[in-house]
Amino acid sequence: MADRVLDRVGTGGPAAAGPAGPPSARPGRRAAEDRAESPGDESREAERHVFASLRLILLGVTAVVQPSLSLGPVLTQAAHPAARVAFTVTALVTLLSAVWVVRRRPIPLPVALGGAVTVLAACAVATGTLPPHAHFGPAHWSYGLIGWHLLLLLLDRVPLLLAAQAAHLVLGLAQWLLTGAPDRAEIGNAGVAVLSATSFQLGVLVMSRILLRSARQAAEDAAERERAATRAALAEQWEQDLRAGFAGQLGVTLPLLADLADGVLDPRAEDTRRRCALAATQLRRLFAENDDVPDPLVHEVTACVHVAERRGVAVSLAVSGAPVPVPTDVRRELTGPLAEALSAARERARVSLLRGEDEVRVAVVTDASGESGTDASGESGTDASGESGTDASGESDTDASGESDTDASGESDTDASGESDTDASGESDTDAGVRAGTAKGRVEVECGTYGRHTRMEVRWRTS
Amino acid sequence: MADELSAVVVDDHPAVRAGVAYWLSCGTPPVKVVASGEDVRSAWLGEGAKADVVILDLHLGGPAPVLGDLRRLVEVGRRVVVYSMRADDDIALQCLELGALCYLTKAEGAEHLVQATRAAAQGRPYTPPSLAGALAGDRSDHRPALSAREVEVLVEWFQSESKEFVAQRLGISLSTVNSHLERIRVKYALIGREAPTKAALVARAIQDGLIGVDDL
Repeated sequence: MADRVLDRVGTGGPAAAGPAGPPSARPGRRAAEDRAESPGDESREAERHVFASLRLILLGVTAVVQPSLSLGPVLTQAAHPAARVAFTVTALVTLLSAVWVVRRRPIPLPVALGGAVTVLAACAVATGTLPPHAHFGPAHWSYGLIGWHLLLLLLDRVPLLLAAQAAHLVLGLAQWLLTGAPDRAEIGNAGVAVLSATSFQLGVLVMSRILLRSARQAAEDAAERERAATRAALAEQWEQDLRAGFAGQLGVTLPLLADLADGVLDPRAEDTRRRCALAATQLRRLFAENDDVPDPLVHEVTACVHVAERRGVAVSLAVSGAPVPVPTDVRRELTGPLAEALSAARERARVSLLRGEDEVRVAVVTDASGESGTDASGESGTDASGESGTDASGESDTDASGESDTDASGESDTDASGESDTDASGESDTDAGVRAGTAKGRVEVECGTYGRHTRMEVRWRTS
Repeated sequence: MADELSAVVVDDHPAVRAGVAYWLSCGTPPVKVVASGEDVRSAWLGEGAKADVVILDLHLGGPAPVLGDLRRLVEVGRRVVVYSMRADDDIALQCLELGALCYLTKAEGAEHLVQATRAAAQGRPYTPPSLAGALAGDRSDHRPALSAREVEVLVEWFQSESKEFVAQRLGISLSTVNSHLERIRVKYALIGREAPTKAALVARAIQDGLIGVDDL
């Protein structure tokens, strides 16, 4: 044990101290776990993915538009050096944003804002160099180009993008109007240019939002499907566990049925009938276990009592004290020995359930094996029941071992050993009260034979 | 016989009245049921007013237990055995507190009823197994302090319904079992409200040497 712990520490140490591997792997795993946990993270991840792809496309568009559509006018028509500077500056902004975009990272806000202001300023400078009446014409290369820059920089910040686009438009129009009153042809020309550039860029924005929404929805749907699959798998697992649990709790039933089917056991034999009684009681108790009742312990005890009563045993049941919550496994341990003791009862049994301040006590006093002992000594010649009684107690060992095979809980072992002890001593000296107590966890089982009575008590300390 | 014990049965079921009368008359010595009726008037009027023991059903037709009637009977010193259908620990303890000498559930048979009636006629308490269970499971704040042995006797008696069994299991005599049970009842009589029956019960216990005067 200590070796293993040391070993684990030994291997864990260097790995934890390792350079970059584990720390980077760990947040990754955590992010994956987080993603699996909440649907919000799923859609955020999808959003990031969509934005990264869109920005890549926009980077391509800008990179193509700038040299193909703008370089010509810059070189041929606007010979002013300021226009060239503006062109270079905008190209640099594109390059700068490419640093983040190609790594599929969002552009940081200061960079995006700075870039937007820079390109707007560059646009104003370039527009300022235009000759009169050239606004929104082929020579006004900066107007359409800057819109793409703004889109690239502020794609995921819609209000800022709209504000920047509006500023761009207002700036362009103001500069145009300041050069002098335009004629009608110019107005029409400008209208077409502004409308086409702006609507195209806004269209891209709208498409990106739609794409984003459907990606988000798809991610949520996928997550929901995954959750549904997980739930289905869980339910299946739970059902399997339940079935396995039932098979485990069936107690002596399965081997008994097998023996009856194989003809190994004689159904008329006293011992077989006793084993059947035990199996019936265990099954009845098992069925009662999952019932939704206010007081499950009393419910299970009553179920055991009913089986015994149907067998013809007169059982008096007494319950005292206020109900206390008892966990299912403890209930199983409390009622398991009760089922066995009741199945051994011949005519009379007293079952009591006492719930005191700090303990729950289930007791059963029966006329079981103590009577068989006295019968054996007193009436062995005349009555066959004495003989079968000793038979039963003699065979209780095989019974006990058979049960411990099927029942996984250790409690049946201790109980079985207690019972067989009692039986053995019950035969050797009938009068002396013999105790065979065992304690398992907080549940204690105590068996004893006192004269004509056999007493079995299970105590569970609640605190 | 001049000193024949007499009882009055108050129960709303005629069959129960007849059955109880029969059981009591079959005991040795027999107890004579001098009056019976479906309400508590039969314990106050005529022959019933002079009967040694009142056997009182707690539920006389109405939904509420007739604890007020019990209290009035006990206040004038009547010895009452409560004979109820309900195995409710709280009600049982309440009846003892009021001064009933025994609380017996109808699930418990003739034997306990006859013994309880006979004990009550002498001003003694009787503790049937169900009542022992109620006392053992008593978690109220004002319950008397019982010794470990007394609790053991209560629990064993509740669990087995057989005093012989209790005696054998705890390795004590039958009379010791009985005196333990009686001492427990004295301890209960000393708490709560005062009642003539309780005082008589304590006085009897002192007289029998069950408890000393300094124990009070």
